[in-house]
Amino acid sequence: MERKIGVYICECGPNISEKIDIDKVIDAVSLPEDVAVVKRYKLLCSVDGKKFLEDEIKKQGLTHLVIAACSPKQHEKTFMEVCENAGINPYLYQLANIREQCAWVTDDKDEATKKAIRLVKAAIRRVRYHFPLEKKEIACNPDVLVIGGGVAGLEASLQLASSDRRVYLVEKTSSLGGMVDNFEKTFPNMQPGSNLIKQKILDVNKNENIKVFTDSIVEELLGFFGSFEVKVKAKEQDAFVEFDVGAVVLATGSSFFDPKQTPQYGYGTLDNVFTAIEFEKMNKSGKISLKNGKTPKNVAIVHCVGRNEKGYCSQICCMYSLKFARYLKEKIPDVNVFHFYSDMCIPGKSQQKFYDQTKGKHINFIRSSNIEVTKKGDNVQINYSDEDGKANNLPANMVILSPAITPTSDSSQLAELAGISQDDSGFFAEEHEKLNPISTSTEGIYIVGSAQGPKDIPDTLIQAEAATGKILSSLVPGRKIEPEVKVAHISESFCIGCKNCMSVCSYGTITFDEEKKVCVVNEVICRGCGNCVAACPSGAATLKHFTFKQLYQEILEAV
Amino acid sequence: MEEKEIHSDVLVIGAGLAGIEASLLLSSSDRKVHLVEKTSYTGGTVIKFEEVFSNMECSTCMVSPRQQELLQDKNINLLTLSEVEEVKGSLGNFTVKINKKARYVDLQNCIGCNACFEPCPVSLKNEFEEGLSERKAIYTPCAGALPNVPMIDTEHCLRFNGKECTACQEACMFEAIDFNQKDEQLKLNVEAIIAATGFTLFDSKQIPKYGYGKIDDVYSAFEFERLYASNGPTEGKLRLKNGKTPKSAAIIHCVGRDQKGYCSSVCCLYSLKFNHYLKSKIPEMEIDEFYTDLCIPGKSHQKFYEKMKETGTNLIRFQDINVDKQGEGITVTYTNGGKKSSRTVDMVILSPAIEPRADSSKLAKILGISHDDYGFFKEEDPDVSSVTTSKPGVFIAGCAQGPKNIQDSVSQASAAVGKILSQSGDK
Amino acid sequence: MSKSKETSTIKTAVLPAKSGTKKAILDFLKNAMDKKNFDAVIIPMRVPAGDSFVYVLIKDVSLLKDAFPLSPVMSVQGARVVSSVTRLGKGDMKIAAVMRPCEIRATIELAKFGQVDLENVTLISMDCPGVMPISDFLSDPEKGMKLFDDAVTSWDDSIMRPVCKICDKSSMIAGDIHIGTLGAKKDTFFMIPKTQKGNDTLEKSDIKIDADLDEWHNKVTTLSEEKKKKRNSANKDLKVKTGGIDNLIDTFSQCINCHNCMKVCPICFCRLCYFDSENVKHSAENYLQIAENKGSIRFLPDTILFQTGRMMHMSVSCVSCGSCEDACPASIPVGQIFSMIADETQKAFDYVSGRDINEPTPLVAYKKDELHEMEDAHD
Repeated sequence: MERKIGVYICECGPNISEKIDIDKVIDAVSLPEDVAVVKRYKLLCSVDGKKFLEDEIKKQGLTHLVIAACSPKQHEKTFMEVCENAGINPYLYQLANIREQCAWVTDDKDEATKKAIRLVKAAIRRVRYHFPLEKKEIACNPDVLVIGGGVAGLEASLQLASSDRRVYLVEKTSSLGGMVDNFEKTFPNMQPGSNLIKQKILDVNKNENIKVFTDSIVEELLGFFGSFEVKVKAKEQDAFVEFDVGAVVLATGSSFFDPKQTPQYGYGTLDNVFTAIEFEKMNKSGKISLKNGKTPKNVAIVHCVGRNEKGYCSQICCMYSLKFARYLKEKIPDVNVFHFYSDMCIPGKSQQKFYDQTKGKHINFIRSSNIEVTKKGDNVQINYSDEDGKANNLPANMVILSPAITPTSDSSQLAELAGISQDDSGFFAEEHEKLNPISTSTEGIYIVGSAQGPKDIPDTLIQAEAATGKILSSLVPGRKIEPEVKVAHISESFCIGCKNCMSVCSYGTITFDEEKKVCVVNEVICRGCGNCVAACPSGAATLKHFTFKQLYQEILEAV
Repeated sequence: MEEKEIHSDVLVIGAGLAGIEASLLLSSSDRKVHLVEKTSYTGGTVIKFEEVFSNMECSTCMVSPRQQELLQDKNINLLTLSEVEEVKGSLGNFTVKINKKARYVDLQNCIGCNACFEPCPVSLKNEFEEGLSERKAIYTPCAGALPNVPMIDTEHCLRFNGKECTACQEACMFEAIDFNQKDEQLKLNVEAIIAATGFTLFDSKQIPKYGYGKIDDVYSAFEFERLYASNGPTEGKLRLKNGKTPKSAAIIHCVGRDQKGYCSSVCCLYSLKFNHYLKSKIPEMEIDEFYTDLCIPGKSHQKFYEKMKETGTNLIRFQDINVDKQGEGITVTYTNGGKKSSRTVDMVILSPAIEPRADSSKLAKILGISHDDYGFFKEEDPDVSSVTTSKPGVFIAGCAQGPKNIQDSVSQASAAVGKILSQSGDK
Repeated sequence: MSKSKETSTIKTAVLPAKSGTKKAILDFLKNAMDKKNFDAVIIPMRVPAGDSFVYVLIKDVSLLKDAFPLSPVMSVQGARVVSSVTRLGKGDMKIAAVMRPCEIRATIELAKFGQVDLENVTLISMDCPGVMPISDFLSDPEKGMKLFDDAVTSWDDSIMRPVCKICDKSSMIAGDIHIGTLGAKKDTFFMIPKTQKGNDTLEKSDIKIDADLDEWHNKVTTLSEEKKKKRNSANKDLKVKTGGIDNLIDTFSQCINCHNCMKVCPICFCRLCYFDSENVKHSAENYLQIAENKGSIRFLPDTILFQTGRMMHMSVSCVSCGSCEDACPASIPVGQIFSMIADETQKAFDYVSGRDINEPTPLVAYKKDELHEMEDAHD
């Protein structure tokens, strides 16, 4: 079919018409044979304008459309719709920005007109090489895999499960509940931790839309958003359980820094030096006592253990250290508690009150550094430098260490399994620190709870609920997923299998065909970022709608 | 018992970052969203910032794609210059009365050329720019505000105060200015409501010892953000009130903390961001950061702090602090561990506490939810969820619920949506 | 690169070379093949006509005696040979490839791009005196052979390729084993293992690795530093001569667009070179437009685009082998120019091509903290 390009120049009121000699532009761009018509119009984005364009396309039998108007950010989609309504493929159109990039920034009318002519000619040249691109639709599986049966995983499972969506909850230990099950109480309301957990576990087990696998791990996770293939293996068994899901929630929790790595705290060498989790367990058992069975009189709580080594503040330790002071006071009314801390980190509207109400006659706060725990007779001694840098010491019976929160030991394997990355500290990396903290660069895989970074229980619950929001709004049963249209493509004949593209793809889109020794793009996952196209030394990788020829033609004219 | 009509539309109050996130997420699940925003623009407080911590990403670059998405989304009915007057009903069937003020500029016809500003004879202080520059009676709060359509401030417009003036209308080539527009009363039926009305900053004038409002070149956080902003009153040039370039600055954390009784969680971080702001424009500047406890939780923030420290800034812990004018400069007197010292600087930047907006208790009453001792919207049970309130169907998100950073606000917004979508699913 | 730290911990083997190093090396290879440590050897051999040398993949061990480990010319860059053999997979045979250090380095670069599978290949390099320009050798092969032998004995590079004369990496240990002749006592030579594979290969041939490397190392360091000075000076001069667009155009004005330089370059491994593709072929309209804009247009167009484009694509992996210059029919000092630029581009990224197989190429390596000098300052 003969190519017929229609060029329409928007006056945009005085914005363009006063700064650019539109008639001159019309004359200059009318020359090529395949430019069937060049017209000007007052305001193309108005209802009348859009109708005008539709009529023109049909009347003139146009095959391609060039609009010279404002920024694509403003109206690219508008005119794409016009094309669709008029019956031409919406990608056979190009928008030349002669407003923001020309009229609004060039004072001299002659210069502006010359530039506008170049911009419009460039758009015409480019559009000649456009290909019609079709939207794709793929069916999606609405079920969800939740890995990790702690408070985050339980919450996500309960929120997600419904009559048209199954949830598969895989827990590597033999029971659900995770870390929170160890806490007698949680801050700041000092409610029993078990309350939170027991009810959720009951609800999960009751719910017929949630299938629970305990003592199990996910062996394999293949596929992409809307269509993941999962293999789960139980510890005792050899066989896999296989099923498909549309999305995956990683709620695998966190671990603690091992204070044995910082011998100055005496952990593992001195008696009665406990980590936070050991103390929680001891407290939950009902009795706080020293190794020799006696009740401690002076307890030191050391904050920020491992902070320098890990390089970040774990956010919740000051708060739970305060909680420990309360535990101690509840069980041993006349105990003396000494907090050794550097900065009191208590952000949030309820946290300071908790601190103010914890302070008391026998609860002391010592700002300190250079802490060393040494043996003193049957007890221990905390050696420290005070605020002014002077050396000081304090005798104590028991020391509780509040260690940094770290990623779990299997987080690297999990990251590799799920095809997501880890940040510098080893936690799972979110897609965008601020706007997308629970999504990852692999679409359909979400990270929630302390697996994403240290946080308290309310924030963990929020993230689990947020993942629910994301999943429920994007994986709708019966609805098709429309992947990106402008994706990369690798030519089999030109690809030399150097895998540069794979190294720079952040989305795991490209795979290597061992037989043909070439790289292949998964067009469903591809986000069209173009990194691979830039990295390909031989030009085998191209980006649909941004091919070299299209861009080159445009630049040739514009420059 | 008669069948209650169940609606699936959702009302989101507040078009800041949390409101935008909630609206977009709801729209992608094919829900119709009514997004009510009190001001004439979207983006809330975050678009006041030039950059956000900790990677110093351009704030408007980060937000504007979402704002664009919002404006072009067919499922989202954006109602700017609107406020919620009344809410009746319950989960699944709320009846909401909205008071929509007239903009007097047609959103369809206006193309955002700003030609109407120049001829307007009325000039007054621009609130968005924290009073550091002026605007006209017909105005957009800043360059790049979205939607890029001005509004007429009827309180100061000559015409709306009885005088004859059609200067703006005459300048408009698109017949976009319509003095005949009227305020509207809208009635909406919605399934659920998300209140994400954001925050404001503690007014440092309440604590005279900081010298705010009395001493020139003592700035509050938002003022400093606008001074640094490339689309702000000075286009990003940092100058003292007398026009000179500052050589030294003091950034004081925790302003109003004792009065409010909580740590606002983001101030230490944005104060460190201010350090970056200053050093990037004036590398030789001497900066003192005065703090009480350094609050920098989160896996990426300590690195940020270390980087800021490397720029040579002095971090000074204090218990008591005073700001006084001393000749040409400003003296900051402080005590630490009983010792008293002082520093003299050219400018002082105060980092005040985050507090609820003045009208938040009014809104709480309208919504039928309670607020906590600090005035923030109260969650029903913080151990269960921080977005559900005592009224089923009414959710809260963002700083309206309590001081927090952008990440957590956005997560709360998604969580509120999650609650709404999963509740509906079970019906 | 702190050579002394490296070599003080590396041990070497010292082997006898009573009948000359060449024979000793061939004996080692024969030995290794007899023991089935290698199934085949890639090594240069003199062509029957006697006027050139080519790489041969030898399976029949009896033919080894005619091989020339140190050939006077480099007709084909060794990396292309290894790539031809293993690009589509490693194959079953264990192969030893005996090549110059620059060929080994190019092989390692190609391995990073998936063009070479090194699993069954043992790379053996040797101290290199340089190679002669092919045209020089071809004009009188007998004389050339004699000149080369003398040059090897006295380690004098005056007859070698221009890039060889300024090569400071002529003894770089890049492969699995390096044959060191410099600094060796009379009638001996070193076999220096670099990798575990190199170690195992020597051990399998019952060669003890227990001698010190200082003699070789000191000689090599001294020579390398001299060469480095020469190199810096030559590069500086060349920069002046060819720097700037006008000089560049003049330098390449004799270019006949044959693309030989790209064809012989080991790093140019693309199936279809970008500059041979449709992307650089335009319509009559386009050419006429350019002619209109500029007054005239030279054909075949885009010579500088090709040269600088190729440079941009391969510079960070360039090993300064000089094959391109040998292949240029217009005698353009293209090898020297590319070599000079490669020094700068590689320096900018703290990268040396072929130094370490585990070192990712700058194209795919992202470091958050680098190239600050390229950043714009805030106003």
